[in-house]
Amino acid sequence: MAELFSLLAFGPDGWGDELMAGAWLTIRLALVTLPFGLMLGLAIALMKEADHRYIRAVGNVYTIVFRGLPELLTLFVIYNMVQLMANRLVQMVAPDSSFEISGFAAGVVALGVVFGAFSSEVFLGAIRAIPKGQTEAGRSLGLSPWKTFRLVRLPQLWRLALPGLGNLWLVLLKDTSLVSVIALNDLLRQTQVAVGVTKEPFFFYLIACLIYLGFTLISSVGTNALERQANQGFATR
Amino acid sequence: MKRANTFAVAALTAIGLAGAAVTATADDVVRIGTEGAYPPFNFTDSDGNLVGFEIDLAKAICAEMDVTCEFVAQDWDGIIPALLASRYDAIMAGMSITAEREEVVDFTNKYFQTPARFIAQDGSGITDTSPEALEGKVIGTQSATIHANFLEDQYEDADIRLYPTQDDANLDLASGRLDLVLADSSILAEWMDTDDGSCCNFVGGDYTDPEYFGEGVGVALRENDDALREKFNAAIASLQANGTVDRIAGEWFSYLND
Repeated sequence: MAELFSLLAFGPDGWGDELMAGAWLTIRLALVTLPFGLMLGLAIALMKEADHRYIRAVGNVYTIVFRGLPELLTLFVIYNMVQLMANRLVQMVAPDSSFEISGFAAGVVALGVVFGAFSSEVFLGAIRAIPKGQTEAGRSLGLSPWKTFRLVRLPQLWRLALPGLGNLWLVLLKDTSLVSVIALNDLLRQTQVAVGVTKEPFFFYLIACLIYLGFTLISSVGTNALERQANQGFATR
Repeated sequence: MKRANTFAVAALTAIGLAGAAVTATADDVVRIGTEGAYPPFNFTDSDGNLVGFEIDLAKAICAEMDVTCEFVAQDWDGIIPALLASRYDAIMAGMSITAEREEVVDFTNKYFQTPARFIAQDGSGITDTSPEALEGKVIGTQSATIHANFLEDQYEDADIRLYPTQDDANLDLASGRLDLVLADSSILAEWMDTDDGSCCNFVGGDYTDPEYFGEGVGVALRENDDALREKFNAAIASLQANGTVDRIAGEWFSYLND
């Protein structure tokens, strides 16, 4: 047993520092993706509620496409195919040059695009749950449409969307494990590398499980705090 | 709508030119994709460095080609798509040359092959493994394999027994029912390191005839990247001629030294 734990040492002889580096990449990727995905999701949700029929159609098609595609495929498409097309385009102008989309950027875009598709439905549910009277009240108080949205609808919408978004956050955290196919060394990839070399699969997979569970625990503490904050001013029964 | 398109092209072009400024000077860098999780071919040590037979060989090849090597490690699943998308220029990841892969990538000549070899019990006195010398001997291998095909074609005068698994054949060799077993040498070397396999050892030489044993492991390149393929082939040929490939392989595949 002591022998197994020595495998987790930090420094040149152990895998502790590699696993931590992987865990850190997982966290960074998820945290950078989150704001991008949230804004995209809210924008798509508003598009789906728009008056103009074409804008609604764009929002709906977006959701259908990116909720429907397997995320692995979305990653491949953005990391490889967009890269390929960008290169073709660039090489028409300057034949000897090339254009690189970094793995991290491709990961953020792909995961964010998928997060946006799913969260737009959560936002849509929240938007529709806010009575129309709230908007009308805001407008009749003389608030501009933007201010009505920001001061009246958004805080209520946020409160209603939070539980659903908390779910999606956990899904996002685990989906980061897909990025190993685009040359990023996330937690799961580092675990697999360690397993390949040490031939100790159960031990390392168990450690990875515990790290992911740790993330989940911290996340639920965070979302609970956010929910408490958003519920201020609402009577508890 | 049309104006939007023009704008998008212009914007992409601008980004592209910015990128070009960075990469256009890097002409003599060859980027090599590998898996980093397939010891001893290529793997990652506990300090996070890529090591292994193919890493050392790639460095030797790049030195021979007079270019700088950069390594990219990524999962096996995306390794060919990323090559096609120019994420790197070559794959060295224990990738066997197969007809299916030949449809999407080009391969250099092989730089490595795990040869097929015979093993026998210690003290069997067998040293010559030619078909004539093995007349009447009992030889086992796994059925429906390249090794079974090879034995049935070339060793007609021997008594060939075919087993559903390689382990069954190995155990019958250990218990004395077989005189010899033929299989992939890396698999056999692994078995001979166990208690069951300690009875036995390699006899005779390597068998690598591509007609039976496939094409071996090569460097995968994008199709039509002929200039680079020629450079790789020339470097591999000269490293094979001066013994560098064998020396590096011997450092990583201990059974080759037996």
